[in-house]
Amino acid sequence: MASQTKKNNTFVLNIRSFFSRFRRGTITLVSLVVKSVKNQYRRSALGILWTVLNPLLNMLVMAFVFSSIFGRSGIDMDYPVYVLSGNIVFSLMSAATTNAMTSIVSNYDLLYKTRVPYSVFPLAQVFTAVVNFLFSLIALVAVMLIRIPNGVTFHWSMLMVFVPWLPAMLLFSMGIAFFLCTVYVRFRDIKHIYSVVIRLWMYLTPVFYSLSSLKLGDTAMQIMELNPMLHYLNYFRDVICGVIPDWKANAICYGVGLTSFFVGWILFRLSRNRFILHI
Amino acid sequence: MRFAPSPAEILHDFRADENLLVDARGVCMNFKMPTERIDNLKEYAIKFLKRKIKYKKFEVLKDVDFRVPRGESLALIGRNGAGKSTLLKIISGIIRPTSGIVLTKGNVVPLLKLGAGFDYNASGKENIFLNGAMMGFSHREMQQKYDSIVEFSELAEFINAPLKTYSSGMVSRLGFAIAVDVNPDLMLVDEVLGVGDIPFRKKCADKIEELKKTGTTFIVVSHSMSQIMTLCQKGIYLENGMIKMQGDIKTVANAYLADCKALEEAAAKKS
Repeated sequence: MASQTKKNNTFVLNIRSFFSRFRRGTITLVSLVVKSVKNQYRRSALGILWTVLNPLLNMLVMAFVFSSIFGRSGIDMDYPVYVLSGNIVFSLMSAATTNAMTSIVSNYDLLYKTRVPYSVFPLAQVFTAVVNFLFSLIALVAVMLIRIPNGVTFHWSMLMVFVPWLPAMLLFSMGIAFFLCTVYVRFRDIKHIYSVVIRLWMYLTPVFYSLSSLKLGDTAMQIMELNPMLHYLNYFRDVICGVIPDWKANAICYGVGLTSFFVGWILFRLSRNRFILHI
Repeated sequence: MRFAPSPAEILHDFRADENLLVDARGVCMNFKMPTERIDNLKEYAIKFLKRKIKYKKFEVLKDVDFRVPRGESLALIGRNGAGKSTLLKIISGIIRPTSGIVLTKGNVVPLLKLGAGFDYNASGKENIFLNGAMMGFSHREMQQKYDSIVEFSELAEFINAPLKTYSSGMVSRLGFAIAVDVNPDLMLVDEVLGVGDIPFRKKCADKIEELKKTGTTFIVVSHSMSQIMTLCQKGIYLENGMIKMQGDIKTVANAYLADCKALEEAAAKKS
């Protein structure tokens, strides 16, 4: 009998739980996001204002440093807007993934003592990054307003940042987030590796320079085009400048986003039962 | 060989029996632990290539079978490391058993550690809502519970102060107050009932009694026999992950106490 039960699959079920687990998950997710947004600037005098100020100040530094080093060749956008848009898009992805990476391990206590779905923890970090991104958009709009005398104009297509751009970007970040937090449970080195990877990735993405100014050969250009962030960033800048991206840009962003999401999610699902053994 | 019902049949029977809250069959839990802790890639790669990763298998639970009908609170007793807490975590759905079937019904609230998930930088008030969310209550629902939670925890003066300024007793009181304000069908309790000072403990005991009257069933892990005797009707005595005895709480508790005494005497003889 004993050997027979061992062959049986595990079967655990709370009859009411499908809906209630989902509900519990969403409520927890929302409150975790609120908590971490609040915690970022707890006890700072300017509080939530920092979420707007931070990207602004970063932009000033980058605009000052890089416009004099790299020059503005090949950029037909207003340079501060160019740098700021690159910066907030890239930091959305990098903050979401970097913070999500450690979320499973650092929430060990919750994971082991309460009945919250595991996926809530990386997702909470991703959505916190989204909230910060939305605040950064305010900064972007402010800079664009200031730069109106320099020829910046507003376009309705800017609203495409919310749909369809943001969901695709989110899927991509979530996929990486799930992947990283799963691997991090097993191998803590990934934290150090990823911090180098993300820096390299940022420099390979035209955040503050333009690809055309690099004067790359065809092969090098094709390699650069393999960088998904390049496409997300181009899409973002296009809609800001009033260019409506063609079907190909949409296909790339959603194709990469969905692939990333499913690969990350499946890996996460397959490994999550073993998380507690390794934390 | 005995005819083993399929999971579908078990599920069907379980659904049909309104009064059955937990049905656990053949629950086994094995941990495969590497003998050395490896958490970096380099070591893993080297050891993997040398085929030097050795695993040691721990059998935490072996073929545990039991049922809990509504209103028949159950106590899990046994020595440290017998698998009691693991069993509670499996029932609550926090961890999955290696094999076996665990079915539960209704609202199951695990109370395994008071204040799990508290954010020590946030105020007591924020933590009430945060903890409530983790139990599946929306902000609005928690607002209705808020006053009674604060009143029960006796922390009204400090509720807006950050949690890191609380004493450990105060944190436990807050955790307990949030946890018991839910009226669950099944509550899983792991050694957390003896918190706070004596008057607060009395209050907790009264609250538990009240919950029991309103129809909450408990599964309790505790070493306090007097507490178990008043709270539970049935007992399971676990030893090395196997059920050594199960039945009426008095019989089971006496058997456990007798075993403990025998151990004590054996230890006394040795020295």
